Amino acid sequence: MKKNAIILLTFGALLICGCAHKPTDPVALKAYEEANDPLEPFNRAMFETNMLLDAAILKPVAKGYRAVTPEFVRKGVSNVFTNLKQPGYLINSLLQGKGEAAYDISRRFFANTFLGLGGLFDVASDMNIPMNTNDFGETLAVWGWEKSEPYIVWPVLGPSNPRDTFGTGFNMALSTAELSVIHEPAVRYGVLALDTIQTREKNIEFIESLEKGTTDLYATVRSMYRQNREKKINQATGAMEEQSPLAYDFDFDDEE
Amino acid sequence: MKKITAFFLSVLLMSLPVKAEQAGIDFTKKLADDIIVNVLSANISDDEKLKIFHDRFKEDLDIQTIGKHVTGVYWRKATPKEQQEFLTAFLDFATKSWADKFNLYTGQKINFTGIQAAKSGQFFVSSSVEGNPPAEVLWRIKKAGSTYKITDIVIEGVSMVTSYRNEYVAFLHKNGGKLANLTQELQRKSQAFSFTKK
Repeated sequence: MKKNAIILLTFGALLICGCAHKPTDPVALKAYEEANDPLEPFNRAMFETNMLLDAAILKPVAKGYRAVTPEFVRKGVSNVFTNLKQPGYLINSLLQGKGEAAYDISRRFFANTFLGLGGLFDVASDMNIPMNTNDFGETLAVWGWEKSEPYIVWPVLGPSNPRDTFGTGFNMALSTAELSVIHEPAVRYGVLALDTIQTREKNIEFIESLEKGTTDLYATVRSMYRQNREKKINQATGAMEEQSPLAYDFDFDDEE
Repeated sequence: MKKITAFFLSVLLMSLPVKAEQAGIDFTKKLADDIIVNVLSANISDDEKLKIFHDRFKEDLDIQTIGKHVTGVYWRKATPKEQQEFLTAFLDFATKSWADKFNLYTGQKINFTGIQAAKSGQFFVSSSVEGNPPAEVLWRIKKAGSTYKITDIVIEGVSMVTSYRNEYVAFLHKNGGKLANLTQELQRKSQAFSFTKK
């Protein structure tokens, strides 16, 4: 208990120290306001730490996983993990009052669990059952918490905001409850680690291409996270149906 | 007679936007097909791929509009010479980084689904890339004489132009606010570039 309090206090102090100072120069002020990232010094430090951890541990392990497993095995493992996420998607669909999505998720789960040998084969896609993904952050948005600032980067967990931090916590609690059927802790952590490794393996080229194509990886990831998250939130709340594709509209001449 | 003339005139006027919309979809579809058939699926070297990409981007992308927008408040602080040098370096680097991203494409079918008016007199052409769930790709285009030019590509909600703007404004904010510094960085990264191996 005392240890948890020390960790929380340390993070609180880091967050306070990690606040960006508002510039006085008008051009720099406009850039600062456009970034809308008051925790930037803290966030950049966390981002660098995460990238170092990735380069030192996760990426080499993901590459090793690819080297020692044939593609069909990796596909099967990926299918099993996707299938294991369906109960979480179902709960969130029900919490969001989305009956049709809940019905499709249930059909996917039963088809892949029983016909697809525990989720090893994605027979649901062959049966044209639509894939729905969602999370508790989206559920909170549907319940009214649509806008959430500031942007924050957590150690290990990565980009987030206050609403999605609660969402991630709830999603992690759901996964833990699901995996509690595995009694041996070593096996349980092994399953969680394998999910992280196989997700990273699927994104080796994408992340490499992203790193090469940017002058500021932190700013690129921040922008992509926010934009993609906004699309998902708009879809979840129904705002997207009214706006799409104009949700991405902006005026090119605003700097005239 | 007047009624008949008015009827034909109204039919003609109604059909004009439909034709313009269809032309926008046709332009985008042809561009995507050309890239898939002549570059991504073609058995050619990386250098040849890059050359075709560079020529297509130069011809089909409105690099002036995009380049000006992505540098935000810093565009007006630069001299015309610095702006021109930036546009050259930006075109070169954007070609390479997007060629690299497109090169990860693994043959999924692209379906074009419609067109809608956007701000600044532009249009969004909607498409979806096969998959479960399918990925939404929007092509923002503007009329340029008898043809069109691409001003943005939005993949699953992530706009190329907005991402570049957020990145470049952050870079310039951190690096003295001089456009020449960004140009130099783009040139440096461009020289060190190589395709990501699948």
